[in-house]
Amino acid sequence: MRAGHAGAHASGAAWLLGPYGVGVVALLALPAALTFGYALTNYTGFNDPTFTGLTNVRRAISDPLFHASLRASLWYVVLAVPLRLLAATGLALLTQAPRRFGRLYRAAAYLPTVIPDVALALVFLWVFNPVFGPINQVLGALGLVQPIWLSDPWGARWAIVIMMAFPIGEAFLAVLAGRRELNPSLYDAARVDGAAPWQQFRYVTLPQLAPLLALLAIRDTIMTLQVNFVPAYVMTDGGPDSATLFLPVYVFDQAFEFFQFGYGALLTVLLLGVTAALIGLQALLARRWRVLG
Amino acid sequence: MYRPVALLLALALALSACASAGDEGAEIQLMLFGDAQELAGYEQMVAEFEAANPDVDVTLSPVAKQDDLLAKLTTSFAGGAPPDVFLVNFRKYGQFAAQGVLADVQPFLDASDVLDPADFTPTAFDAFRYDGESLTCFPQNLSSLVVYFNVDLFEAAGLPLPAMGWTWDDFLAAATALTDGDVYGLGTDPKVIRVAPFVWSNGGEVVDDPLAPTTLTLDTGPAREALDWFLDLSLVHGVVPPDREEQAEDSESRFLNGRLGMYLNSRRVTPTMRTIEGFRWDVATLPVAPGGTPASILHSDAYCLSADGDTEAAWRLVEFAMGERGQTILASSGRTVPSRFDVQASEAFLDRAAGPPTPEVFIRSAETVRATPHTATWTQVEKLADDILEEIFYGRLDREAGIARLIEDTRPRFGAS
Repeated sequence: MRAGHAGAHASGAAWLLGPYGVGVVALLALPAALTFGYALTNYTGFNDPTFTGLTNVRRAISDPLFHASLRASLWYVVLAVPLRLLAATGLALLTQAPRRFGRLYRAAAYLPTVIPDVALALVFLWVFNPVFGPINQVLGALGLVQPIWLSDPWGARWAIVIMMAFPIGEAFLAVLAGRRELNPSLYDAARVDGAAPWQQFRYVTLPQLAPLLALLAIRDTIMTLQVNFVPAYVMTDGGPDSATLFLPVYVFDQAFEFFQFGYGALLTVLLLGVTAALIGLQALLARRWRVLG
Repeated sequence: MYRPVALLLALALALSACASAGDEGAEIQLMLFGDAQELAGYEQMVAEFEAANPDVDVTLSPVAKQDDLLAKLTTSFAGGAPPDVFLVNFRKYGQFAAQGVLADVQPFLDASDVLDPADFTPTAFDAFRYDGESLTCFPQNLSSLVVYFNVDLFEAAGLPLPAMGWTWDDFLAAATALTDGDVYGLGTDPKVIRVAPFVWSNGGEVVDDPLAPTTLTLDTGPAREALDWFLDLSLVHGVVPPDREEQAEDSESRFLNGRLGMYLNSRRVTPTMRTIEGFRWDVATLPVAPGGTPASILHSDAYCLSADGDTEAAWRLVEFAMGERGQTILASSGRTVPSRFDVQASEAFLDRAAGPPTPEVFIRSAETVRATPHTATWTQVEKLADDILEEIFYGRLDREAGIARLIEDTRPRFGAS
């Protein structure tokens, strides 16, 4: 009787998960497998691909634009991920306590996340406009240098990093929920021991949230490496001088503008490799951290 | 009570089923890029074609930018569902032709009762013969690079209006005189296709071999002189909006807002220029190099047929579009310089009231055009070259170092397959 019940349960789960399984295979696993296959061919999107061995790999090694693209992507991760996590965590901890207009603040923190990528990029094109944009207006009023943001390699990189520090709603919600799960008696105990707010944060909140933050960092690294296509395409189209030619943008150029599907597939595999390497590094650091902690 | 309703519904369904089953017409897709002003003309052209050809149903699939058009075409070809017919620039069709996915229009043209090559200016045709002999795609227009200018600003500065055969010196003198405060004399994209006609006018070449190029040749001889002259407009004379100003407000907007004396572009922007109300504008041919020859650059899109599509129905659409009526509709929209002689002489094109007041400038300019290469890798070369040219033009990159990079960085791209 009991076993029969469990069996029914399992078959029910299979029914429910079935469609997702089909979706994962058809929309993710299969294309990913094809990408690995195409990476070693001369596929153009039009021809019958022939196996070309490591030709595409050799091409990537000697392709200066791929090097520029890799550099752009790595810099972007190094700058954007910490800033996004800091923003999400900071805003979540600041707005978590019940207070007047608390909901309003939390809604405001989440709001940029619901703006579509293209609209956000168009707004920030105006924000970084060298003459009419609010940032340079303020800098000018303060008598500071008004950079031509999108003409300078670092200006353009920072512009995209700053823009992407706003749509952080998912991480914000995760930290908010995580913080509210923490046992209030820990804070009572800390207060009794005379811990100042900073010490409460350092010795109570942070250690408790650490696993969550590590998870968010890994998730954000993946996001940041792979989901920066639209903002870069709209804001800078990879410029100036390839400073924001992030890997997804270069893959797009190669596969869809220059008809180099095979090479684009190889670059996609390399992007996957870079992502895996960075995540591995983070996982390693997180483990050390836990051992030391 | 319910039965009659159900019966009616069943009848209606049956009728509509009959209607669709009885309709054995073709369905074809036309893909092209353009902004709202440009698309209106194509919508009207398609509507009239459908009215005249009830057995063909055309789906117009517009995209906003040329880059997006290439991406959409690539994915639709790779996905096995390409548009039956698409409009693409001569600098971009080569990579499709190289893949063997196009149906040559030559045999269709040879068999056509509607279109006769003798009715068209031959200029644009050469650029669309991929193998140099048979016509690959049918050029729909005959645009070229011209100088749009603000007549009011010229008169206010006491300058003579640009005339046919004016020189680089006249051009620079006008640009200098017009530059004042937040008004600039000239606006242009720092791109290969803008520099090229100046190079040709000066007797130089952009590439070593137009049919089988292996390198850019902008670093030597008359080509280098012309490139330097073009770069000087920004770096020495300051008659174009500097980097900051151009980013704050691009030259097209600045021209529309009456704060730019001259603006280099093709016929494509004429529909937009026709919305100007605050001042008078006109067009002029490009200035001629000292001791050089008049030159401009071809801007032409052509109808290409997908080999796997319904080529027969697609060709009928091309016949209509390139016939007198089709060309008249598109010429009336302002978007195209017709390649048919009869429409060039018609009021639809010579609409002086709508502008420009001297439309024949486009015909004269078209007589002097040359084309950049149309090889399979040209798109890659041009994109990289444009990125570097922009760096030099706005002084972000040293001129000598930049020109060296322009040659060296693009060289491997010519051979990339």
